[in-house]
Amino acid sequence: MDLENFVFKKVTEEIEARKRASERVSFHLHAPKALFDLVEDIEAPADPKSKHSDKVGETSPYVHPPNYALKEFEPNSGIFLRTNWQIQGYLQEQADALEKNGSSFSLNAFELILRQLHKLAPELHRVHFLRYLNSLCHDDYFAALENLHRYFDYSAGTEGIDFVPPASGSNSFGRYEIALLFLGMMHFQFGHPKQALEVLTEAVRVSQQLSNDTCLAYTLAAICNLLSEIGVSNTAGILGSSFSPLTSIGISLSVQQQLFVLLRGSLKRAESLKLKRLVASNHLAMAKFDLTHVQRPLVSFGPKASMKLRTCPTNVCKELRLSSHLISEFGFESSTMTTDGAFSTAWLKNLQKPLGSAILSQENGSGSNENAFQFCVQPSSIPGSVLQLIGSSYLLRATAWELYGSAPLARINALVYATCFTDASSSSDAALAYVKLIQHLAVFRGYKEAFAALKIAEEKFLSVSKSRILILKLQLLHERALHRGHLKLAQQVCDELGVLASSVTGVDMELKTEASLRHARTLLAANQYSEAAAVAHSLFCMCYKFNLQVENATVLLLLAEVHKRSGNAVLGLPYALASLSFCQSFNLDLLKASATLTLAELWLSLGSNHAKRALSLIQGALPMILGHGGLELRARAYIAEAKCYLSDPSFSVSENSEVVLDPLSQASVELQVLEYHELAAETFYLMATVFHKLGQLEEREEAANSFKKHMMALKNPLDDEDPLFNVL
Amino acid sequence: METDEDQRVIPFQLQFDKPVASQIKIAEWNPEKDLLAMVTEDSKILLHRFNWQRLWTISPGRCITSLCWRPDGKAIAVGLEDGTVSLHDVENGKLLRSLKSHTVAVVCLNWEEDGHLIRDDNGNISTYEDRTSCFFPPAPRVPRMPGVVSGDTGFMDDNEDSFQELSNSSHQRFNILCSGDKDGSICFSIFGIFPIGKINIHKFCFPTPLVGTQATYRLLNASIYKVALSKDLCHLIVMCSGELIEDNDASRDRRTAGHGMHGLHSLMLDTSIFWKRKNELHQVAQQASNIEDLTEVIRASLSVMCKQWSDAMHTFHEKFDPLSTLIIDHGLDSSPQEEFLSLLGGARTSPPVHQFLVNSLGEVGAKRVSKVVCGAGKELQLIVLNHLQPAAEIIGFRMGELRGLSRWRARYQGVGLDETLINNATEKAGMLLVQVERFMRVLSSVVQQFSNFFNWLLKCIKLLMSEPSDQLLPYNSELAVIFLKFLYDQDPVRKLLELSEADCDIEIELETMQRVKELVHFGGFLDCEYLRRTLAKEFQQMESSFKEAFLMPFSTISEKILCENLLPLFSLPSSPASTSFPVPTSISYYEDSSHAMSSNQTSQNSFIDYISFQIPEESFPEIANCIGIARGFMNDLISVKKGYSSLEAVLLGVPDGYHCVDLSLYKESQIVLLLNETTSSEGSGDACMMIVQANDLPFVSISRSTSLDYWMLHQLKESVVYLQMENEKVRSIPHSVIAPLAVSTSRGVACVFAARKRALVYILEEDEDEVSDAE
Repeated sequence: MDLENFVFKKVTEEIEARKRASERVSFHLHAPKALFDLVEDIEAPADPKSKHSDKVGETSPYVHPPNYALKEFEPNSGIFLRTNWQIQGYLQEQADALEKNGSSFSLNAFELILRQLHKLAPELHRVHFLRYLNSLCHDDYFAALENLHRYFDYSAGTEGIDFVPPASGSNSFGRYEIALLFLGMMHFQFGHPKQALEVLTEAVRVSQQLSNDTCLAYTLAAICNLLSEIGVSNTAGILGSSFSPLTSIGISLSVQQQLFVLLRGSLKRAESLKLKRLVASNHLAMAKFDLTHVQRPLVSFGPKASMKLRTCPTNVCKELRLSSHLISEFGFESSTMTTDGAFSTAWLKNLQKPLGSAILSQENGSGSNENAFQFCVQPSSIPGSVLQLIGSSYLLRATAWELYGSAPLARINALVYATCFTDASSSSDAALAYVKLIQHLAVFRGYKEAFAALKIAEEKFLSVSKSRILILKLQLLHERALHRGHLKLAQQVCDELGVLASSVTGVDMELKTEASLRHARTLLAANQYSEAAAVAHSLFCMCYKFNLQVENATVLLLLAEVHKRSGNAVLGLPYALASLSFCQSFNLDLLKASATLTLAELWLSLGSNHAKRALSLIQGALPMILGHGGLELRARAYIAEAKCYLSDPSFSVSENSEVVLDPLSQASVELQVLEYHELAAETFYLMATVFHKLGQLEEREEAANSFKKHMMALKNPLDDEDPLFNVL
Repeated sequence: METDEDQRVIPFQLQFDKPVASQIKIAEWNPEKDLLAMVTEDSKILLHRFNWQRLWTISPGRCITSLCWRPDGKAIAVGLEDGTVSLHDVENGKLLRSLKSHTVAVVCLNWEEDGHLIRDDNGNISTYEDRTSCFFPPAPRVPRMPGVVSGDTGFMDDNEDSFQELSNSSHQRFNILCSGDKDGSICFSIFGIFPIGKINIHKFCFPTPLVGTQATYRLLNASIYKVALSKDLCHLIVMCSGELIEDNDASRDRRTAGHGMHGLHSLMLDTSIFWKRKNELHQVAQQASNIEDLTEVIRASLSVMCKQWSDAMHTFHEKFDPLSTLIIDHGLDSSPQEEFLSLLGGARTSPPVHQFLVNSLGEVGAKRVSKVVCGAGKELQLIVLNHLQPAAEIIGFRMGELRGLSRWRARYQGVGLDETLINNATEKAGMLLVQVERFMRVLSSVVQQFSNFFNWLLKCIKLLMSEPSDQLLPYNSELAVIFLKFLYDQDPVRKLLELSEADCDIEIELETMQRVKELVHFGGFLDCEYLRRTLAKEFQQMESSFKEAFLMPFSTISEKILCENLLPLFSLPSSPASTSFPVPTSISYYEDSSHAMSSNQTSQNSFIDYISFQIPEESFPEIANCIGIARGFMNDLISVKKGYSSLEAVLLGVPDGYHCVDLSLYKESQIVLLLNETTSSEGSGDACMMIVQANDLPFVSISRSTSLDYWMLHQLKESVVYLQMENEKVRSIPHSVIAPLAVSTSRGVACVFAARKRALVYILEEDEDEVSDAE
């Protein structure tokens, strides 16, 4: 979707540039026939001076906030004379708004306007494109396809502009390749990866044939995007022989390697064409790829061949930094001049402010200090697409830090996005940033704050199907239900999460794995070990098939957990170790710390003579767990540490009870915030035994009471005070 | 050793005898390589190879008062008269870091590293390593100030590799640099870069071990002579001069330690916190010193950017200011902006504008200004992208790591890492990241506007001069309006970069403000007003929060360094002039083989300390020309508890006709003595160097029960051991020698300086093959 609008804008800009080059602008009036007598067609020279004077006078009605526009276009609300230029501007802005607000944009109202427009100005083909975008946003496959076809049928991709100087080279097919590109992206949007790939492959072929390098670069970027988003099973061989650019390289490349080669090629092409924005988005794609893929040298022999099979986080960082270079380079892109009139809305808004009156009056001197920052309040002249790309680099950073395990950086990057980029970004990206923040809240500060924040977010991003906010809500509900011991609710939520995913193979892989992971965890919480193990196993097979290595580490850890809970510590050990090695090679430090913790717990359950080893394992992971782990993980580590001490025969409680009591009390605080009854009960149990040994009876009773309270809560889950239970 | 053999074999092979340019006042051998660092009287540092090839010379411009090597031999620490301790790279002498930890001259330095590798057993963590290098490319460095020839700035300029090496302390063993100054302060810094403690020996109270007395004593007017940290970092022996007085809160009238207690004292400080918490300190120092480096990078970036931008703006205004005078000259009541606007609007071209554009500015001028301004903007953007932003990001990461450590209270509370302070610092680091992003946006749009404005201006000039204007870049007239309105005579970029006294609040859109406030519910920064601050202000706040956070470990550790013991050695003439009188002293720690400790002693006590010093003539007239050696001071207290004393001492009488110039402890409890013949006049005569095996000497146990009344040496009056030249390894030197004597324990070489500006290097381990003719 992002890319789509992006390309659209690109094309528009090209056209604008061409228009400018031809030094004149046609002012066509699109008005009802009845009014035609009143005005004449004017062909105005595009002299900068006259242009400006025009603008000062008439910019006010030029662009409106969308709701304004709706009113304005009501058929019988007065006389409207709109220049072609204005209509184009209006459509441009609507396209931006569509992208920004996504599915919360009103489908029918806008469709109505578009239809009206189409009736009045049938030669304005861009209306079809807007209709396509509108229906795409609202997941109306048939309407989208129809409008896209119509757009290219009528305009051959050359917009509704009256004169189009023939593009260099043969133009006999119109812009067939661009049409294919759009079609491919549309298929992708609707979750038909196979068709999308077919169409895009065709687009590559046609672009090559017509030597349309720009389109080729964009098509390649789109293919990369597609390949990295959808899960491609190793065995399926989608690309196979049908994909020409790759078969020439070699046959034995895996899908991942093909993707890598494609990415490199696309990046190189974009760089040579000086398409700065495409370069930035390619860098982002590269970073995304590096995040989860081990770079294996294609040739690995000789003394210098690196045998290090690990992902390379520094590369991710470098790619991300390269992508942010866009902000200093966008000005040099071949045709990024912002269209005239783009600022007028905001500009006018500012004029209405009292300070607007002082625009040109020179009464500064004393007030110059304040005035200097008025500029900062101005709408930024940086194009939205540039900001969007830069913003997504921050989002990717946040994701990367979630994986690599640096909680403060993950949060800060999400915050940077939420603070600086929400005005320019699409609502789905903004929602993602907020989702990350809420997840962070839930993990580190408990559910109460998270749900409060969720409520605000829900109002902010009106939830529609497939929205991230809805998924987040289900995730949070599931987590909390598991912690509180409402297993029925947990199962229900988990099922609901699974339903959200598309049924097509390879699409929505993330959601699918998450749903079945949660399913396994629910089963585990219900002590149905063999069922949980079976679900986890099939999940592992799926992840393996689709090359989801990062998820594999999680699944293996879950399997270890299952065996630990079922009492087969020996069986659990290999899983924990396998998970550890996965984490190591993918630099998943936080997950590694939690795998280490599980490993320690497994050792501990093998007997007290392993307590020392378990303790040193835990202490090795503690800085990581305490610094970046959430409440649950921290509490588990504290408990495990205390247990290690307690089970060590050479340790005497009476001598240094602090060593045990301190972690236990911290764990109890954190678990109470989390309302994790089961572990809280365990903590209080341990505390009570320690107090008993110390002979502090009062404290012992207190701990025992807390234990009882949590056990009761676990046994009969109260759902009366659960405000979100009825939301479902 | 037989006497006749001794005649044949001359010990200590002379490597060479070379002239030196000026008199040397300090000389130290590199512990790892055969390199000799010397400080001349005029405070130049010279580095020579073993073959006397000079590697480099630098002169810091201030008086050098002390010098020592980093234990790995890759850097030199230099103490200056003004209290600065600076580190220099061994490769080229470049200044790596300088830390002004003292207020007066740093008179002694000692850099000791942890003798043991970090062990894995015993529950010690050694597995936690610095993750930063795994996730980030090498940290950004200080951007260059344009127009400054490298080498002028001196500070972290070209020495990128060594600077990098210094910051990356993860491969280093834990080490501590101690520095003592003239006023009795001792500073400790980990890796020589992260200050971790400061004490003043005036503040210590010394309980007397005297039986039956409860008096405590203090040192007055103390000045440090020498500090030596034991190899296990548990103890610090300090030699200092000062007057020992009774703490006057005692109501007693007896003042045993009244006058006459001015003299040289030896103090034993308990620094076992360094040993006990070395892993924790290592982690903290590593993160914190890197963070300090990065804040330095940010500070430098800000100042470079500020400089570049204001230069560019200066050019811009210089070129455009004539327009307003032109307007006034033409008798118009308007401003340049208005005139430009009317030009943009196409209404008219007023004469002043026409004159300005065509005549005074011209096409070339406009192009030049455009190049200057846009070039500066581009530079600024690159600085943000390559230095500022990465530095801020890595600071955020490292602070996050520190936060993780601070939460491990059981381990890290002991070293003073405070969770709330670190949390606060992490928040500030996050705010800075947001600010940097905002600044980048403002900067980029300003640059865009400027270039757009110049494009327009160029086009106007072309039109006014009725020249073809086809090849010019397109412009956007709306942006030009915005430029004229907001940027023509305002400079938001500079305002953001400059730290002004006046609190200038940045105006924030209502919408943004609401968003920031709303973000608080999502776990955003609690301080909603942070966007009102300028970038420079934000940086300042971040820095102070870091300072606050790192001060905590500093003060915590300082409090944990305690004085254990005091040993008055000998009195010194109490005239203040003689406080700077140099007393040759040497302190060393040896593996204790003879005193095999009982098995329950931990490894930290397998060392024994030797303190050797020359006794000045004035202090003990009855035992003139002697050298005192004390050992076992470190273990004294432990031994006292066990019921016997292990503090032993011996006096060595220097042979008649000689007096001691300098001495140095060498390996295996040997002492190298440098003696001059007394008979001859100054500048002539011979000297000799000898090695005495110290642990064979008849040490006398010193009882501490009554010792405070007397100087420790009084007990030894009877048992002076007189050295016989014939019985020791002696090498005569055909010059009159002066201090210093530089002995390298690890390399087995000694360098002696003659009064007539010559340097002689001897190999202590090898004997001269044959009687050399040069003798």
